[in-house]
Amino acid sequence: MNRVVKVARMQLINKWPFLGIPMVILVASTLMTFGIWALLPASAREGELYSGSGQAVMWYFLALGIQSLTYTFPFSQAMSVSRRSFYLGTLGLFAAIALGFSILYYLLGLVEKATGGWGFNGQVFALGWISQNNAAIQILFYFVAMVLLFMIGFWAATVYMRWKASGLLVAGIGFAVLVLGMVALATLNDAWPQVGAWFAAMQVLGLSIVLGMLCVLLAGGSYLTLRRATA
Amino acid sequence: MSAIDDSRPIFLQIAELIESEIVAGTMAEEAQVPSTNEFAVYYRINPATAAKGVNLLVESGILYKKRGIGMFVATGARDQLLGKRRSAFAAQYIQPLAREARKLGIDAETLASMVRQSLAAESAEGSVR
Amino acid sequence: MAPTSAPAIEVRNLTKTYRDANALDGVSLALEENRIYGLLGRNGAGKTTLMSILAGQGYPTGGQVLIHGRNPYENDSTLARICFIRESQRYPDDFSPHQAFKAAALFFANWDQELAERLIEDFNLPTRRRIKKLSRGQLSAVGVIIGMAARAEVTVFDEPYLGLDAVARQIFYDRLVEDYALHPRTIVLSSHLIDEIANLLEHVVVIDKGRILLDEDADTLRGSAVAVTGNQDKVASFIDGYRVLHRDSLGSLASVTIQARLGATQRAMAAEIGLELSPVPLQQLVVRTTMSAQAEPHGDHYQEALK
Repeated sequence: MNRVVKVARMQLINKWPFLGIPMVILVASTLMTFGIWALLPASAREGELYSGSGQAVMWYFLALGIQSLTYTFPFSQAMSVSRRSFYLGTLGLFAAIALGFSILYYLLGLVEKATGGWGFNGQVFALGWISQNNAAIQILFYFVAMVLLFMIGFWAATVYMRWKASGLLVAGIGFAVLVLGMVALATLNDAWPQVGAWFAAMQVLGLSIVLGMLCVLLAGGSYLTLRRATA
Repeated sequence: MSAIDDSRPIFLQIAELIESEIVAGTMAEEAQVPSTNEFAVYYRINPATAAKGVNLLVESGILYKKRGIGMFVATGARDQLLGKRRSAFAAQYIQPLAREARKLGIDAETLASMVRQSLAAESAEGSVR
Repeated sequence: MAPTSAPAIEVRNLTKTYRDANALDGVSLALEENRIYGLLGRNGAGKTTLMSILAGQGYPTGGQVLIHGRNPYENDSTLARICFIRESQRYPDDFSPHQAFKAAALFFANWDQELAERLIEDFNLPTRRRIKKLSRGQLSAVGVIIGMAARAEVTVFDEPYLGLDAVARQIFYDRLVEDYALHPRTIVLSSHLIDEIANLLEHVVVIDKGRILLDEDADTLRGSAVAVTGNQDKVASFIDGYRVLHRDSLGSLASVTIQARLGATQRAMAAEIGLELSPVPLQQLVVRTTMSAQAEPHGDHYQEALK
C-alpha cells in the first residue's frame, strides 16, 4: 500500500479528530439551535430565523489543521514517512472529509427547505444567498471554505514548526501590512465604490474561486515550509 | 552481569571460557557446543564477537564444524588444552607467586612447604567431594 | 540477502551548521551491514544531529549521507528501510501506545507484532493509557518497542534508555541481542552508559565537537591501553615513549593510562620493577580519549596510532 494512503490511515487510527468530533459538533450545535428556537416566545419567531451553527464545524477545521500537523508530523517522521507523503496523505484525507461534509451540508439544506426550515422557518444550512445556486456551486463553496480554514491552520502550524513564534509573528505582521496596504491603496485612489461593486458583483462561484486560489497559495506555501521543517 | 569483563577483547574471553569448560570436562569431547547465537544471548555479547571467539578455537583444532549441524569438541581437545595450560602455568602462577614471596621475605623452603600443605588440603577436599 | 557493494550507511564529509555553531564538522563514516555500532560522545557532541540526518529527518549543510547507496532525504523507498526514534520522540497527543504500535505496523514492513507484545509484557507497559500520561520510563519503552519490533534494516536508537530503571535497561539489552542474533540488521546505538552496552557493540564511533575521534572495532580497542600503577619514578621511566591518555597521582604513587599493547616481556619487566598493570575498560578508554582530545587541538592521533 502506498505510503500516502498509509498516512491517511494513520491520521484515522484515532477516529475522533477527523470524524468523531466534527460530527459531534455538527449534531450538537444544530440541536442546540433547534432548542433555542423552540424556547423563543412566539412573537420573536415571526419571520425567518437564522443560525450560524453550521459554521461551528468549519471553525473546528481551523483547529484541526493546526493539530493534524503539530501532533502528527513529528510522529510521522519517526514512522519514516517523507514530508511529501505526510503532506499529501494529510491534505488528501482532509479534502475527502471536507467533500463529505460539503455534500452533507447540501443534503441537509435540501431537507431544511423541504421541512419548511425544520418547522421553524429557520435557516441553518440553506442560507439564502448560497442556496439559490445550483448543487455543484453550493458544494464547491462549502468545500473551499472548509479547506481554506484547514489550510490556514495547517500553514500557520508549519510556519510555527519551522521558525517558531518569530515565524508566526513575521507572517502575521506581513499579512497585516498586506491588508493595510490594500486598504490604503483603495483609500488613496478613492477606489472604495469600485471595490464595493467588485464584491457585490462577485457571486458565490466567484467567491469560491478566489478563496480556492487562496487555498492553493497556502497549500503551496505549507509544502515549501514543511520540506525543510524539522520535528 | 556475566563472566565477561570489558577491558580485554571479548572474543578471547569467549574462547577461554569454552576452553575452561572443556578442561573441566563440562563440555565433553565430541559433544556439541552451543551455537554462537546461544553464546551471545547467554553472555549478552555481540553474536559476531562470539563467532570470532568460536572460530579461534576452530582454527586451533579444539572445535570442529559439522556442516549444517553445528560445532563439536574435537577428540583430543582436552589433552591439547591441558598441555597448553601446563606450559603457561609457570609464567601465569609460579612467577607471580615467587615474586610476592620474595617481597614478603618468605624463603624457598617455607614457600615449598606452604605449597605442599595447600596441595594436601586440596586433595583431601577433593576426596570428600 | 543479496550482497550489496554499498555499505549500509555511508557518510561523506558531512557538515551541519546552526546559526551559532558547527554541529557536524566534516564527518565521514562507512558502517557495514548487519553490525551493531555504538555512537558515543558527550552531550552536544553532534550525535543526535548525525543520527537525524542518517534517518532523513534532518538535512545537512554540506556533504552527503547514503543509506544502502541512496540519499534518504524525502526518499520514501529508502526511508522505509530505516527506523529512528528520537530520545524525546513526540507522539500524537491523544494516542495510546496501542495506537502508536498500530501506526508502526502500517509503516514498517517487517513489523513483528509478537515481539511487540512480548516487549510490552516485559516492560509492563499500559497500552491503553494515553501516551501523554505515561512516565518518562514508559515513554522510552514505547520508543524501544517500536524500534525493535519494526526490525528495520537500519535501526537507530538515540539514548533509548532515558527513565528506564536498571532492570528495564537489562531487558532491553537482552532482547536486543536475542532478536539481533535471529534477525541481523544494522543497528546504531547512541548512549552515555557505555559500560552497559559495551559488550553488545561490534564497532565504536566516538564523536566530539562534531568530529569523529575514534572509529574502531570494539575488540581492537579493548586492550589498546593499559594503566600502569606504582612508584612515580618507576612509572615515569616505564611509560617513556608511550602516548599518555590520563595521569593520576597520590603522594609518590602514580597511575598513568598509556596507549599501548604490551607484550609478555614488557609485562614481565613491569612486574619485575613492581609496577602493576591493569586493563582499561572500554568506557574508561572512551572517556580518556575524549578528554585527551579536548586537551589537544587535533584529536586524530589515537586513530592513527591504532592503525
